[in-house]
Amino acid sequence: MSNRRSRQSSSSPRISDDQMIDLVSKLRLLLPEINERRRSDKVSASKVLQETCNYIRKLHREVDNLSDRLSQLLDSVDEDSQEAAVIRSLLM
Amino acid sequence: MNTYDMVKQEFIKKWITTLHMCDSSVEQPMNVTERKNAIRLSSDIAMAATRSGATIWSRALISRTGKNKATCKPVAHRILKKARNRMKKRCTTITRNGGAKMRVRKRTELLKSLVPGGELIDNKDYLIRETLDYIVYLRAQVDVMRTVAALDSVTNK
Repeated sequence: MSNRRSRQSSSSPRISDDQMIDLVSKLRLLLPEINERRRSDKVSASKVLQETCNYIRKLHREVDNLSDRLSQLLDSVDEDSQEAAVIRSLLM
Repeated sequence: MNTYDMVKQEFIKKWITTLHMCDSSVEQPMNVTERKNAIRLSSDIAMAATRSGATIWSRALISRTGKNKATCKPVAHRILKKARNRMKKRCTTITRNGGAKMRVRKRTELLKSLVPGGELIDNKDYLIRETLDYIVYLRAQVDVMRTVAALDSVTNK
């Protein structure tokens, strides 16, 4: 984790290069879709932000769709207790 | 078992709890829309509860869902009562972006609107940290729900 603390950030109003590099490297782990070619140390801040926003929106849509699907698939909420045990055993 | 698996495990424990609580607090039988809302709501609360009160996004999400549906407010409070006020708002200074480019500023605003509580965060360092944290838990939520949906379509005839 970076050694910079929030106290010092008031002197750097923009997203610093260090922060961008940190963000990009972490995002690369989380988002295999981002394929930033490392031309230099500088990465386009707006592109990374855009990718991040797109990704979050995509995840939100997925949660919404899955909620839809689950509500249609579940016969009754009571069955959760049975399925909960099955799910638990599957995920362990 | 890695950390991400532990996150998913914790999430599913919380989700089962919130599902039962939401279930017991609304009248049966629910129509499809009501059930979808209950599932979405319980899932969001569970995701935030998994993170408990340690991040802005999780507390903002609880507060937001608590406002929308009165029935699940006691659910939210019951789960978070132990994590109450563990973290004060650390983002204090308002940074004026005189030198920042318009595109970065606009997309930062967009990001703030997507991350719960993001509109409260002026400090960019903090916003990035919250975003990364939020994404991890969002993915866990999606992964678990996807697994349950797949399982459910197999077991339900």
